[in-house]
Amino acid sequence: MKLTRRNFIASVVGGVVGIQITPLPWKFTDDVAIWTQNWPWVPVPPTGKFSEVHSVCNLCPGGCGISVRKVDNRAVKIEGRPDYPVNAGSICPIGMGGLQLLYDESLRFTGPMKRVGMRGSGEFQSISWEEAFRTLAGRISTLRQAGRPEAIAAVDGNRKGSTASVLIERLMLAVGSPNYVRLPSLSDTYRMGNIVMQGRDAPVAYDFENSDFVLSFGCGLLEGWGAPGRVMNAWGMWHEGNPAKSIAKVVQIESRASNTASKADLWVAPRPGTDAALALGIAHVIIRSGKYDSGFIAEHTFGFDDWQSSDGKSHSGFKTLVLRNYSPDQVSRITGVRPDVINKLASAFMGAKAPLAIYGKAKNDLNGSLYEFMAVQSLNALTGRINRPGGVLLPDALPLNPLPYFDQDGIASRGTAKPRLDRAGTPSYPFAHSLIGNLADAINRSPRSPVDTLLVFSANPAFTLPDGGAFRNALSKIPFIVSFSPYRDETANMADLILPDCTYLEKMDDVVWPVGLQYPLYGVTKPVVAPLYDTRNCGDTVIQLAKSIGKSVGSAFPWKGFEDAVKERAKGLYDAGNGQVTFDPASPAWKWPRETETKPGYDSFDDMWKKLAAGGFWYRPPDEIKDWSWLFKTTSGRFEFCSQTIHQAIQKVSARALRITVQDDEGCMAHFAAPKGGPDRSAYPLTLVPYPMINLASGWIPTPPFLYKTIFDTQLLKDVSFAAVNPKTAAAYGLKQGDLVTVQSPAGAAQVRVDLFEGAMPGMVYMPLGFGHTGYDEFLTGKGINPNAIVQAGQEPVSGLPVWWSTPVKLVKV
Amino acid sequence: MKDRANSSRRPSQSGDPPSPPGFFPKWLNINVAVQDISFFIIGLIAALIVGWVIFPAVLYSKQTQPINFNHALHLDSEKVDGIEGDTKEEKCAFCHEFREDGTFAGIPKLEKCTECHDNPESPLGETPQEKEFLARYVATGEQIPWLVYSRQPDCVYFSHIAHVNMGKIACDTCHGNFADNKQLPVYMENRLTGYSRNIWGERISGFYWNKKPSDRMKMDDCAECHTKMGQEQNNACFVCHK
Repeated sequence: MKLTRRNFIASVVGGVVGIQITPLPWKFTDDVAIWTQNWPWVPVPPTGKFSEVHSVCNLCPGGCGISVRKVDNRAVKIEGRPDYPVNAGSICPIGMGGLQLLYDESLRFTGPMKRVGMRGSGEFQSISWEEAFRTLAGRISTLRQAGRPEAIAAVDGNRKGSTASVLIERLMLAVGSPNYVRLPSLSDTYRMGNIVMQGRDAPVAYDFENSDFVLSFGCGLLEGWGAPGRVMNAWGMWHEGNPAKSIAKVVQIESRASNTASKADLWVAPRPGTDAALALGIAHVIIRSGKYDSGFIAEHTFGFDDWQSSDGKSHSGFKTLVLRNYSPDQVSRITGVRPDVINKLASAFMGAKAPLAIYGKAKNDLNGSLYEFMAVQSLNALTGRINRPGGVLLPDALPLNPLPYFDQDGIASRGTAKPRLDRAGTPSYPFAHSLIGNLADAINRSPRSPVDTLLVFSANPAFTLPDGGAFRNALSKIPFIVSFSPYRDETANMADLILPDCTYLEKMDDVVWPVGLQYPLYGVTKPVVAPLYDTRNCGDTVIQLAKSIGKSVGSAFPWKGFEDAVKERAKGLYDAGNGQVTFDPASPAWKWPRETETKPGYDSFDDMWKKLAAGGFWYRPPDEIKDWSWLFKTTSGRFEFCSQTIHQAIQKVSARALRITVQDDEGCMAHFAAPKGGPDRSAYPLTLVPYPMINLASGWIPTPPFLYKTIFDTQLLKDVSFAAVNPKTAAAYGLKQGDLVTVQSPAGAAQVRVDLFEGAMPGMVYMPLGFGHTGYDEFLTGKGINPNAIVQAGQEPVSGLPVWWSTPVKLVKV
Repeated sequence: MKDRANSSRRPSQSGDPPSPPGFFPKWLNINVAVQDISFFIIGLIAALIVGWVIFPAVLYSKQTQPINFNHALHLDSEKVDGIEGDTKEEKCAFCHEFREDGTFAGIPKLEKCTECHDNPESPLGETPQEKEFLARYVATGEQIPWLVYSRQPDCVYFSHIAHVNMGKIACDTCHGNFADNKQLPVYMENRLTGYSRNIWGERISGFYWNKKPSDRMKMDDCAECHTKMGQEQNNACFVCHK
């Protein structure tokens, strides 16, 4: 029997028949099906013990409580925390996506690094913590020995009043540099407005949960302003049930149909930068009607009526100014809002039981306009909405203990006596604590950078500053840059040395007074997981760095670790008393005045600290302040429509030096002044207005890549972002939906696509804040344009903060 | 060629192969037919050997557990105390415990072992396996990478507490008798799917005459038991495939 072709085929046929009566085909098919389920990229959730860790989100100055679900040691889901006073269970999309900021390794530095490639290439080599401390401490000591400690500058993005920022500021004092600089934020505007009108260096406290008419001047209520969890709860409460019977009406005032404007009860669109005129127009109608709170004004305010100063000079008061300059017709010409709308707003404001005018601009991380804020506060004062339920409250700052006094050595005291590079606090900028724009300017204008070593903490100024790239230029001139960022952000990629912080889920940190909250609250974050990589809490790093530098610097930091410093400051809360560490959702803090006394929830400091360190909080619920005599700490002891503080500042230099463009009296009060100077508007006829999005991070932390899935294809398409333009404006340039166009400002140019949007004010070009990264990882980099790169921002009168919301631009079709 | 093909139609000549016996058709060539059948049978037998012997031998790999764990020893209350429980099931559940929230812990973590074996320096017995266990795992805190016999695919949701507490099913019923094992069985892993042979079962055919629940753990086995126990509603898809 030979193996012929025929025989072979016969055996194959036999084989095929035989195989059918074995388990092979059926088992094999079943196994292949299961094999397809196990391909390596198919995500499989871990199995293990479930647990929940309660902490506080620290991604924005809002500070909502979070509850993180874990399976064994892996965090799997972030949700709002139901037992936290600020947000009671609600959370924003960025907060929910926070796990990606923890686990996405390509976003992070996994340990200390030193630069090996060209500066800006983002090429680093791992080093040990010992080497990192040696390098930095050595450099700082060398500068100190050379008598140049002021050549060290620190940029700090940690929230003001947090223990981390207090320690960094202390380090700079101990080292001997006056150049401790913070980034501008909305809180700066609030703080300055409160200083000049109330004499209180305190945050703003809006009691809008108890208001029945919220007049929002530019607050990005649904775009991420304040504590988003809190705002969402309030919004839901305002609009619950039958719209005809809603308990509060919300009017959104901004030039673009944002989400907030679209969902508000009424949307009023003045031209960008004219909010002050609109507020004063409403004030005009109220004053003319006589239905203002004359009792409050007479007893607790100064500067409403004309007044005479001690030198016999007579001054115009707020009433005169408003009646003269801000009639509905005048305001209509300035803002573009119809006079009847202004009248309607005024009647609604007067007719409400508990109206409240709130001020904001975008989210929390960009400053506002001081005069606009003053105008809105004036409106509240006019109607007696200060220190009343549903109005603007005046709680004291958190009574945290200051850190103990320490002695500077000679080098340090000589260094800190030198003038600040950013000229903050000088007569031209009397109320600013930092002006990073001036720092960049000082570096850019000098042939040799006056800053030798720059330390950057929790900040990404190369991306977030609305300065047309000025800070980025300054970075390239600084000889040595150290970043403490956990993320590979744009500023860190320009650094020479990285001492990475842990992410917010890996460390203890404190959360000081969420923006806009109507009562003081102090929260402490609890590490949800142990640090994944070789990173350290930047508070610990600062203490260790000081000890490495040694001598008087080291002895200024006697704590073993960051936690001890936090505990020491928190003792002040215990000593001050009247605080609470528990929260009952059925009886939230904003329900006040309270019928019954609530117990504090702790018996001793150790008990309070134990609760705080477990991701807890301490707060003082709002209460009626009956004694007005110590409430306002101005020269007059009253709320000042006409700020004598500004008046004194003008006397010290001149109105011009303070960039005030109006007469002296008017300059001390809220007013509208059209910006002077600037480029030729015939060359740049349109105006660029950057806008915030609740699902896009525009502060120092990256957007969790998940959230790019929530971006519409009329905001970002492939790698090109869109600018929203009114169809009428687009038609004038012959632009259709999706056309590529170059937006050109005096500071630079950017290529975007055009989105025809009826909700865009004609003549404006709106670009979202948060795109245009060049750092981080493949999901974020190279997508869209950062409007900050082409913003040209002049300096505001008095505050000196950037005017980033109206850059002149032109469109050039590509 | 053409002639060859039609050769059977020409009249018989000498030298032709012999005609088949009477009842076969004339054109059937016995020689070729025998060869056809023989090779067919050869192929058939080869396929049967491949399907029934070679396939299962090659499909499954044999792996040993990282450490040998002696169930019989630990459940012998005269030799080992500390495993609490009055019934056999309670003893199982001492290590393979239900957590407070009702989830099943499965194979216990190192922390369960160190409840008794807490000191790496002092072994509780005299076996070399325990010494290795103490040195490699207890001293370092590393979790033992056990190979799990009953692990089901990720798409399967199985609730132990429903079966143990509500169904009152003994552990042995589905998992077989581990209590008397002195050694952990060899872990046979399906090279294609990555799952243990316990799921499909010992027999490659999957057919059993009097099937015990511990023989196989595929979907139809679960469904069969549900039906037998009068819980047919639990065979709806979404009950297990959430």
